[in-house]
Amino acid sequence: MTRDDILTGVLLDEVALNLDELACACAVEPNWIVERVEAGFLGNVVAGQITRWQFTSTELARARRLAAVERDFEANPELAALVADLIEEVERLKGRLAAAGLPLA
Amino acid sequence: MEFRDYYQILGVSKTATADEIKKAYRKQARKYHPDVSKEADAEIRMKEVNEANAVLSDPEKRVAYDQAGSHYHPGQEFQPPPDWGTGFEFSGDGAHGSYADSAEFSDFFSSLFGQAGGGRGAGEHRARGGDHHAKVMIELADAYHGATQTITLRGARLDPAGHVVTEERTLRVQIPKGVKEGQHIRLAGQGSPGFGGGAAGDLYLEVHFRPDPRYRVDGRDVHETVPVTPWEAALGAAIEVPTPAGSVRVNVPSGSQAGRKLRLKERGIPGKPAGDLYLVLEIVLPPAATDKARQLYETMAREMDFNPRQGMGA
Repeated sequence: MTRDDILTGVLLDEVALNLDELACACAVEPNWIVERVEAGFLGNVVAGQITRWQFTSTELARARRLAAVERDFEANPELAALVADLIEEVERLKGRLAAAGLPLA
Repeated sequence: MEFRDYYQILGVSKTATADEIKKAYRKQARKYHPDVSKEADAEIRMKEVNEANAVLSDPEKRVAYDQAGSHYHPGQEFQPPPDWGTGFEFSGDGAHGSYADSAEFSDFFSSLFGQAGGGRGAGEHRARGGDHHAKVMIELADAYHGATQTITLRGARLDPAGHVVTEERTLRVQIPKGVKEGQHIRLAGQGSPGFGGGAAGDLYLEVHFRPDPRYRVDGRDVHETVPVTPWEAALGAAIEVPTPAGSVRVNVPSGSQAGRKLRLKERGIPGKPAGDLYLVLEIVLPPAATDKARQLYETMAREMDFNPRQGMGA
């Protein structure tokens, strides 16, 4: 490929990842994803039923975060999900502060 | 390529037990975890810590590392021994082993463990290459119009002899119009090469906007602070406002107070549905820096019956 070639990618959310693609992107086995979806830590689970096996950008970021926390701290999946929930909540609150034009600290 | 002292990176002695290495790793991971760390170079340090742990927590790799690096100091130019890789058996697949992000480890790691693993495994089985992840910073205006971004990445690949070599590559990437903060662009086949004829992995680019004090982004909605004069706010005016989509003419309603939001429907980040652009009015007082300006303020003070603290009981 020459330097002048312009790569055009796919924007996630317009095209969702399937189970195997998400597993590859997180360097985990597909079963690792299935276990966390079934436990309600990842993806869309309504009343114990998995609504779809398609994953968005947000879910890719969350799955990578879960995998990193489990790996780095040898955390069990429940604890990693709690950490991810808290980080996401902090990010949401920071976003609301920013939208209101307020400083973070 | 410089020698890396993994013991120094984790802050443990060369005689540290497995338990001490584990504790040191967790301590460093807590300090540099990109999600929580406020250190400027947290992401780079976390990669170093992960790499050090990948070697020192694995008894096979630790023994090999100790032998290869016994005469080296941190930062010293390093060359693996000519017969490197013989006499060791690694359980994983070298640089493509069980550690997530191992494709992002240093040249030093690749020269030690990529070569050993790759030399043994290449050609023996067919496997897809690993996916890579990188962050890319763009201007907010790029999300409105689309853009071409040049990014430089360092990665590992196998040479024809099956050895891992690192290379720097420059990619020109199309940033699609309508991309949101945190969204991923997936570039097929731009990750690690596959083995034994397997397909290459993909490259995921996580998009972030460069901070701009004029704009705040919430999903596809954009908030922009717009300075106006007191008379524009009080009397109303048609003003020209630069926005990420270009300049627009906006009517400021009379009687506007500071903080009033004017919503411009579907003028946020494009998409289905497009976001909205919120113009937040900020009233800027002209300085009383000339006699004329002072006179005008004094006239207002004398002739206007206005007490902004009335609601406070003052």
